Amino acid sequence: MPPMSQSVLHFALVGNPNCGKTALFNCLTGARAKVANYAGVTVEKRSGPLAGLSRPAELIDLPGTYSLYVASPDEQVARRVILGEMPGEVRPDALVAVVDATNIKLGLRLVLELKALGLPMILVLNLADAARQRGINIRTDLLAERLGMPVVETVAVRRNGVAALQAALRTLALDLKSRTGSLGLPERGEAVESLYARIDALLADCVEAPASAPRWQDRLDALVMHPVLGLVILAATLLLMFQAVFAWAAPLMDGIEALVGWLGGQVGALLPEGILHDFVVDGLIAGMGSVLVFLPQIIILFAFILALEDSGYLPRAAFLLDRMMRGVGLSGRSFIPLLSSFACAVPGIMSTRSISNPHERLVTIMTAPLMTCSARLPVYALVIGAFVPQRTVWGLFNLQGVTLFCLYVAGIASAALVAWVCRRRQGKSESFPLLLELPNYRWPNLYHFLLGLKERAWIFLRRVGTIILALSIVLWFLATFPGAPEDAALPAIEYSFAGKLGALMQPLFEPLGFSWQMCIALIPAMAAREVAVSTLATVYAVGGGDAALGSTLAHSWSLPVALAYLAWFVYAPQCLSTIAVVRRETNSRRATLIFTAYLFALAYVAALLVRHLAAAWA
Amino acid sequence: MPSKTFDGSDASSAHTPLHRLPKGSRARVVEIAASALFGDMDDQVTLRLKELGFLPGATLQVIGFGLFGTDPIAVRINGTKFGLRRAEAEKVLAILHSA
Repeated sequence: MPPMSQSVLHFALVGNPNCGKTALFNCLTGARAKVANYAGVTVEKRSGPLAGLSRPAELIDLPGTYSLYVASPDEQVARRVILGEMPGEVRPDALVAVVDATNIKLGLRLVLELKALGLPMILVLNLADAARQRGINIRTDLLAERLGMPVVETVAVRRNGVAALQAALRTLALDLKSRTGSLGLPERGEAVESLYARIDALLADCVEAPASAPRWQDRLDALVMHPVLGLVILAATLLLMFQAVFAWAAPLMDGIEALVGWLGGQVGALLPEGILHDFVVDGLIAGMGSVLVFLPQIIILFAFILALEDSGYLPRAAFLLDRMMRGVGLSGRSFIPLLSSFACAVPGIMSTRSISNPHERLVTIMTAPLMTCSARLPVYALVIGAFVPQRTVWGLFNLQGVTLFCLYVAGIASAALVAWVCRRRQGKSESFPLLLELPNYRWPNLYHFLLGLKERAWIFLRRVGTIILALSIVLWFLATFPGAPEDAALPAIEYSFAGKLGALMQPLFEPLGFSWQMCIALIPAMAAREVAVSTLATVYAVGGGDAALGSTLAHSWSLPVALAYLAWFVYAPQCLSTIAVVRRETNSRRATLIFTAYLFALAYVAALLVRHLAAAWA
Repeated sequence: MPSKTFDGSDASSAHTPLHRLPKGSRARVVEIAASALFGDMDDQVTLRLKELGFLPGATLQVIGFGLFGTDPIAVRINGTKFGLRRAEAEKVLAILHSA
């Protein structure tokens, strides 16, 4: 026998959305999967090593697709990878087609299309246990014979549920050749009608199925998709979710902050006073802490989203909310990422991964930071407290509360406007149809749920963490060097690069009326917006809390300028974590640049307008 | 919303566009009609609907509607549930099952 070539074999998992492909992928690759984006598009790519074959092999989990011929943008990615047209991706040597055994008719259509490509193939009937429970009986041997390919049953949520597939993969790998080059898509040789007629004939011979699905699924739908009760359920779910993100995360976040502080203290005690001490404690450890502190919110938010997604509820929520989001060219799927951004844009932007349409995902990412995040609240509270009188308006509302409300509304309205403009620019008479599949309800599986959570946490910690950490070290450097002279009369930050940069920036911000102190505060606010408050306290050399700082500000700033400062904070993308996560999620330097530039431009224009309008009014 | 529907085909009351069917009703698909709403993409949308099983002769059931009125609309066809927007639903002409 000639020596076996050791080139890596490439397998691709192909199937309809919701057929349990990703759970199957998790079972086959375990925890060794890599999650990234395909080059140049905001479509998630998963791949991982396939162990136990005679040769090294790689499995790629393609985006769910219904068809090779009619494709939404994310489905096009699947098609292009299969055909070898995707830059940076190797054409698969063999396909593993996954069909939901409880929904076999729809799945088989894609299988017949794939078969026409002539690639080696295995057909997987996933969710075989659910099918049997419903009384669906599939004669796999006959199906294999009629289709001319191996057919195996799997139960992806069970540990040994994929043994048959692993055996089939081993057999297939034995005499599989690696190929290169691309494959042309054959002309659609057969009308959909005749394709379905063939499937009907196939199903008549190979499958016995009872007439209808279990009743409880329909009863649950009648409740969940009810125009009134459905909305109540949705509101309750979201309320619980945000209660969790805001309130339950708080003790954990405090814990992390305390831990970081303690670590800083411990390490600081070991190091002699001096620049190394400051660097490690204030730069490195504090910088890392500013990243880690987001982790509880991210984990809690994703725990909810993953559970809602796995159970089949998320598409129903998207269905209910679709009409509301459509006015601005988004769909129901954008709702949860945007809502999450009120807590923090970082997890919000990460959760856009559940949006399958890349354009919609991009628009959602672009508009997410306009939702007022919790880090802006301290700044708002300080400025509003100092400048807006405690007065009752219209006999009912507190003027300060109304102002805060207006800031939130300004963000939401701007997001709607930006989304609308993006949609105009795309300029299709009607976007690709929604045609949302409402999958069967399922109990989320703990193993896949935990693996999903780990994946999100890991993406955040490793990729984003490195960028944010590097940037916070740079910021620390700017705020520290050069040090203040011995006989310094002014706060140390004014002698530093950050201070000089603030002074340098000031002419640029002159039209907005920002003083150089206000400009300096904008620089450390890049690490986290709420830091602006403590920086303002430093540059104005005020101790004694927000009230004292507020009264100082009330004397130093005019009302129009204070309002302009608020307007700036509504829009400015001045949180490096957000910019880093946008870079990571879009995988595009250009998109990140546009994101940063448009938000700065918006902030500048808004602050300018507010200043002059307020001045004219007063 | 301006009613840019197809040319008079809903004059024949037997063929009802999907979004006009009452909740819970069953109907048989007769035709996937052309619609000006999708412009150049109309053929693609027709094909996609057919691929998902909206073929003449198929039986569907209306499950429910979105928050406001009849848009989007949820239907079951071949045992699978789908949410369709009104523009897509308008393309699906069906005959109501009589009982």
